[in-house]
Amino acid sequence: MMTGAQLLVKALEQEGVETVFGYPGGAIMPVYDALVDSRLDHVLVRHEQGAVLAADGYARASGRVGVCIATSGPGATNLITGIANAYLDSVPLVAITGQVPTALMGTDAFQEVDIFGMTMPIVKHSFLVRDVEDIPRVVGEAFHIASEGRPGPVLIDLPKDITNSSTSQPPLFEVKSKALGGPDPDQVKTACGLIRSAKQPVLYAGGGVGIGRAVDAFRDYAKASGIPVVATLKGLGALPTRDPAFIGMLGMHGNQAANEVVQAADLLICVGARFDDRATGKLDGFAPRAKVVHLDADPAEISKLRHADAALLGDLSQSLASLPTGLSLEPWQRWCAERKHARQWRYDAPGEGIYVPDMLRQVSLADPELIISCDVGQHQMWVAQHCHFNRPEQHLTSAGLGAMGFGIPAAIGAQFADPGARVLTVSGDGSIMMNIQELATINRYQLPIKILLVDNSSLGLVRQWQQLFHGERYSEVDLSDNPDFVAVAKSFGIPGFRVERRTQVAAAIDRLLQSEGPMLAHVCIDPMSNVWPLVPPGQTNDVMLEEQSA
Amino acid sequence: MNHTMKLTIRRVEGAMIRALGLIERRGFAVTSINASENQPSHELELIIGLRSADRSIDVLARQIEKLFDVCSVSLQQQNEPAIRLEESMAC
Repeated sequence: MMTGAQLLVKALEQEGVETVFGYPGGAIMPVYDALVDSRLDHVLVRHEQGAVLAADGYARASGRVGVCIATSGPGATNLITGIANAYLDSVPLVAITGQVPTALMGTDAFQEVDIFGMTMPIVKHSFLVRDVEDIPRVVGEAFHIASEGRPGPVLIDLPKDITNSSTSQPPLFEVKSKALGGPDPDQVKTACGLIRSAKQPVLYAGGGVGIGRAVDAFRDYAKASGIPVVATLKGLGALPTRDPAFIGMLGMHGNQAANEVVQAADLLICVGARFDDRATGKLDGFAPRAKVVHLDADPAEISKLRHADAALLGDLSQSLASLPTGLSLEPWQRWCAERKHARQWRYDAPGEGIYVPDMLRQVSLADPELIISCDVGQHQMWVAQHCHFNRPEQHLTSAGLGAMGFGIPAAIGAQFADPGARVLTVSGDGSIMMNIQELATINRYQLPIKILLVDNSSLGLVRQWQQLFHGERYSEVDLSDNPDFVAVAKSFGIPGFRVERRTQVAAAIDRLLQSEGPMLAHVCIDPMSNVWPLVPPGQTNDVMLEEQSA
Repeated sequence: MNHTMKLTIRRVEGAMIRALGLIERRGFAVTSINASENQPSHELELIIGLRSADRSIDVLARQIEKLFDVCSVSLQQQNEPAIRLEESMAC
């Protein structure tokens, strides 16, 4: 005989799970009791949001399903932001929540919330288990659903009487993995015709290239076809960002050349991207002359926002392999290269203050294999613009949800996924405070995570928008009463140091990256620093504001 | 535009609310609904009247089809004048 909790743990082990992130509490206690006898490594975070975001970072860095555990009520609601984050970025995640006993469900019992109902719009699927013998089947289905096709989060809500009840162990449920098929031949024929007749095609890479394990196929096709490449925030690394064929990131804070190339295109070959508003700007002015070939694993993305003239549904690698090569695109390639050259980033900023784009570029060059997790805000855009990525898994960013507080937990997850990896978090003084308690997790497990805290004493991106679009009416963006971050880190057992001048940057990068254990570099910058260029909200990508000279 | 969608869903916890929630969240108003159980299969058949000023019913159908408790989706389009979404969802 086994309890439901033991059955759950056994099912997780059978799924190959090695690491789970979580936080115990009343309704989930049977599971924590079963964990004592398990070979699963449980990582104790200090807030459930840290658990789910760490599981998210684990999944992004490893390609495996991330697992987090929380109790009912507040434990479960604290997972919601992270579940939404995984949903919007298509991250394979299984979130396990305790629930009050079934007899108490619906009575407003202590720590009871309908987490099954609350999370419905932000899960790929969810289960409320009412029979202990369903546990192995549910776990099997949850892992299958989380990782198949377009990945996403799956919730398993487990009432306490179910995890406490005993059963003779039923046979463990085995899911046959369902491979995605290839594209429809008629659509392939249409796509091939469009590509062969295009004079100015662009490959538009999204997060699906990495998620769909189609990086090799994408690179092969980009090389064989000679079609210039742009990427979304999540598509960075689909082609190494230093590859000559890579024009840049498109969109609101993208590279001007990338936006110009897309706006001039007569064909967009969209590979695992979804025409997100931050990438397209005003939708009806996006790539206005282009026809669209859309490659995706998710049928619901086809023609959702932009009509697809050809839709290649299914495995991206198979779809890419079906597209024509040997194209004659010389004038177009030359024009794109010229735009790229004309719009290349400049790092010769005047003044003595620290110029973050140049600092981030130097960090990235100092260790090209760094895994960089970001928080959300100006620093996130600077990372996307100025760091180099050789593969998508190097860049962990909360793209769809834009969840401040993502950076440190995601770095923790990535470090557990690959203990030998060198992991850096780039954070801001607003974001870092959203999950600062996870410094305790870094210290607890002595994770050698480096933290580059870019501190402008304000909520920089909101302040920038207030400056540009709200007539400099600054509202609740001043964070000049921040704590002493070096002292904060020290109190968590993490050494740190402060960087205030441009002349200190090179030595600071060296010190940060060469440190044995965790380290925080607290970098103080001009509060009025802005991210450039910028497509104003509601405008097309033709309209990019440039840095306004002082 | 008004539409009629026929859904067959598994009779499992949350299946109906999941489908109806998705319909409203994706910008459609439910104008009528009729549910009946198919006895042999224990599936639930829903005939749902829908209205949206500007959203694609085909995209909605594909979004619903992705739900794991949905067995089948079919559409029947009606050519009645559409009203604005805000009016249709007045509450």
